[in-house]
Amino acid sequence: MPVLEASGVHKAYGGVIALRDCEFSVEPGSVHALLGENGAGKSTLVKMLAGVVRPDGGTIRLDGEPVRFTNSADAARHGVAVVSQELNLFPDLDVLANLFTKREPLRGLFFDRREMIAQAEPVLAELGLSVPLRAPVSSLTLAQRQLVEVAKALLTKPRVLILDEPTSALDDDSTRRLLGLLEVLRQREVAVVFVSHILEEVMQLSDVVTILRDGRVVMAGVDRKTLTIDDIVHGMLGDRPPAAVAPERRELAEDAPRLVAEHITVPGVLDDVSLDVRTGEIVGLAGLIGAGHQALLQVIAGTQAATGTLRLPGQQEAGAPPRGLRQAVRQGVALISGDRGLGLMAEKPVWENVIQVRTIALGRDGRFLSRGDLRERARSAIAGLGVRTAGVDQHAGQLSGGNQQKVVLAKWLAANPSTVLLDDPTRGVDVGAKADMHELVHTASDKAVVLLCSTDLDEIVSLCHRVLVFRRGRVAAQLSGDDLTRHRLLTEMNAPE
Amino acid sequence: MAGTVQDAGAGPPHRANGHKAGILARIFGAPSFSVIAATVALVLVIGVLRPTYLQASQLLDILQSSAYVGLLAAGMALLLSMREIDLSVGSMFGLCLISVAMLISAGFNTWLAAGAGIVLGGLLGAVNAAIVTYIRIPTIVATLATLSVFRGLAIAVTDGSQVASLPVADSFFTIVGGTVLGVPFSVIVLALMVIGLSLMLHHTPFGYRILAIGSNPGAAQFSGISANRVRTQVLILSGLLAGVAGVLGMAFFTSGDPNIGGGFELAAIAAAVIGGTPLRGGSGTILGAAVGAVLLNVVATGLTYFNVPANWSEFATGAVILLAVAIDSLARRRRAANQEK
Repeated sequence: MPVLEASGVHKAYGGVIALRDCEFSVEPGSVHALLGENGAGKSTLVKMLAGVVRPDGGTIRLDGEPVRFTNSADAARHGVAVVSQELNLFPDLDVLANLFTKREPLRGLFFDRREMIAQAEPVLAELGLSVPLRAPVSSLTLAQRQLVEVAKALLTKPRVLILDEPTSALDDDSTRRLLGLLEVLRQREVAVVFVSHILEEVMQLSDVVTILRDGRVVMAGVDRKTLTIDDIVHGMLGDRPPAAVAPERRELAEDAPRLVAEHITVPGVLDDVSLDVRTGEIVGLAGLIGAGHQALLQVIAGTQAATGTLRLPGQQEAGAPPRGLRQAVRQGVALISGDRGLGLMAEKPVWENVIQVRTIALGRDGRFLSRGDLRERARSAIAGLGVRTAGVDQHAGQLSGGNQQKVVLAKWLAANPSTVLLDDPTRGVDVGAKADMHELVHTASDKAVVLLCSTDLDEIVSLCHRVLVFRRGRVAAQLSGDDLTRHRLLTEMNAPE
Repeated sequence: MAGTVQDAGAGPPHRANGHKAGILARIFGAPSFSVIAATVALVLVIGVLRPTYLQASQLLDILQSSAYVGLLAAGMALLLSMREIDLSVGSMFGLCLISVAMLISAGFNTWLAAGAGIVLGGLLGAVNAAIVTYIRIPTIVATLATLSVFRGLAIAVTDGSQVASLPVADSFFTIVGGTVLGVPFSVIVLALMVIGLSLMLHHTPFGYRILAIGSNPGAAQFSGISANRVRTQVLILSGLLAGVAGVLGMAFFTSGDPNIGGGFELAAIAAAVIGGTPLRGGSGTILGAAVGAVLLNVVATGLTYFNVPANWSEFATGAVILLAVAIDSLARRRRAANQEK
């Protein structure tokens, strides 16, 4: 018998139907994967189960009894806990306080810290997270913070645990730990709802799969063992074929403008790294967290001070690396990050976002701006990118994640950059939008040097012409052609020094 | 489009169809619409009950006395829309005014003294900016300190007494302190400033940078917009506006009181907020800020027509601020609710 069950639920926002007649149920001790492209209705369903959104119709049953959660705290009291994509932690409070927000054990009027520690320690140990309990959350890495969120949910001893893309920003190590933990949860008869974009992970981990497409359930509670990744992709995309972009092995002109970095050194992080990339090339920078690949991206973007010289495509002479992002941008660098909070103004229309770099920051379109012109400019900038919007006046925050990232891409490409830096550009983006993005990056590379860092190894392998693997601040290997496989890449990244 | 004062930027999304939407929708949707409607309505109500209130001289008088806070509020609206605030504007106004008075009193050319007053305003703004940028403290803290520092300077250099017996027959006093075609000079300056600054805010890259920083500082910085640079420019602008206001005040009052403009900073913030510039940043309206200043004065002067004791005017001002902000918030919520449908 299912613990939590939604039957016939539907929900509309304005005129848009997010979910219609949806059936979904989770059994204790099983991991139920919930899949679908962005905008398919996953988030809406998850929010309903967690009490954040109320269905327009249909019923949600807990142990067979109809329930109406008034809010997420109410759902939590009933044993439904969520670890969401967005982190809901208080950065200035310590780990312990964050683990027990609003349910601190008390002794008299005061927090019972001893009790809190006693409860927290085994859970943190289970997760393999060793951080000082009194450290403020702001001092933790992103991966650690995500584990704190997981620990916080587990401390409520949930009967249903919803993991909303818990691994999109975790490193492989933590992912492995989480997968181990789910094994434990399964044994403890907790019902787990698992939302993920990483299909391999889903295959490894889940027992049952439900797929949503355009607000409808297209595959309901199917045994994972009977499925292949192809089946799932087909279910998610429908008849639309998955666009696999294979990097075309193009001939690069000998005189194509080049990005040349020499002797780039950041004490303790990067050790005398050099790089030579021609316009037209997409080069991956890979490595384990802290290996130096991301630091190199930051040096070129001007956000990390370094010694050494840098010559961007089109520049006559090599100079010091840019001091500050502003200087880098003026020199023709574009920095596209998967962190959408840094990419867009959510409460502004799409057009204001699209013109932000070229027209506003760089002031290249003159001193007097008319909105009509700007909106027209934005319209043509996003025209070729396949952004699904109600028009350039729609607020950027209302777009789905994949479309938001396309708008970010549009705003940078509008400035005709000579160097495009991609930092995990498709984090948390669905399969279809990801393929679109890759196509766009590929097109953009005609006119620019493209450097890519990504937590998604498939992305690096399928998009890059060659990949530099970093270990301990040095380029340890270079892969291209037939050597460039997921397996080789992973091996090189983890090779002992 | 050019030449019109565009009061946009914060427009509610239903207005977002831009120039295709009807002119009426644009007028009603403008963020400054509420304050303009409220001001006109209040003037009419008082006028119906006390017809002498509607005399041109009385109305021009109200505009004249609103010009100083109006100018400060215009600068404040720019700062608020980038999530900054300048608490020292009243003190800068006072210090600039007193400096001009002292220069004139010392025998300097009146016009040169006036120019020096405006430049001084810019310098004081630059001091604020330098403190914020180099000591790295929030603008509200820096200007809280300079609120006292600038005021203290004004009091110290004058020994706390008025600077009077100035050559009031001089062309500076008769022109800048006088009227053009019946309209007070300072009102004309305010109008020109409102037009100029509105065009700047809604039609130049600089203006968009201000709004971008207020909307999402992280994204703005990430797009290559330097928050330090823009903040510095806007703080200097705020100082220049205080300088202009000081010069206008000097010419009109024809004497310098070191305590003049005390509390103007709060009036300027109130005017900007009433006018439709939210504290959360990302949108702003210069016209609304200026009209907000007028509304505050309409209330204060209106009370005297009803024999309300002067001691109640402060109370009434506060009530108006609350009322204006509450109505605006309700209207915004309704608009948002309509959109959901």
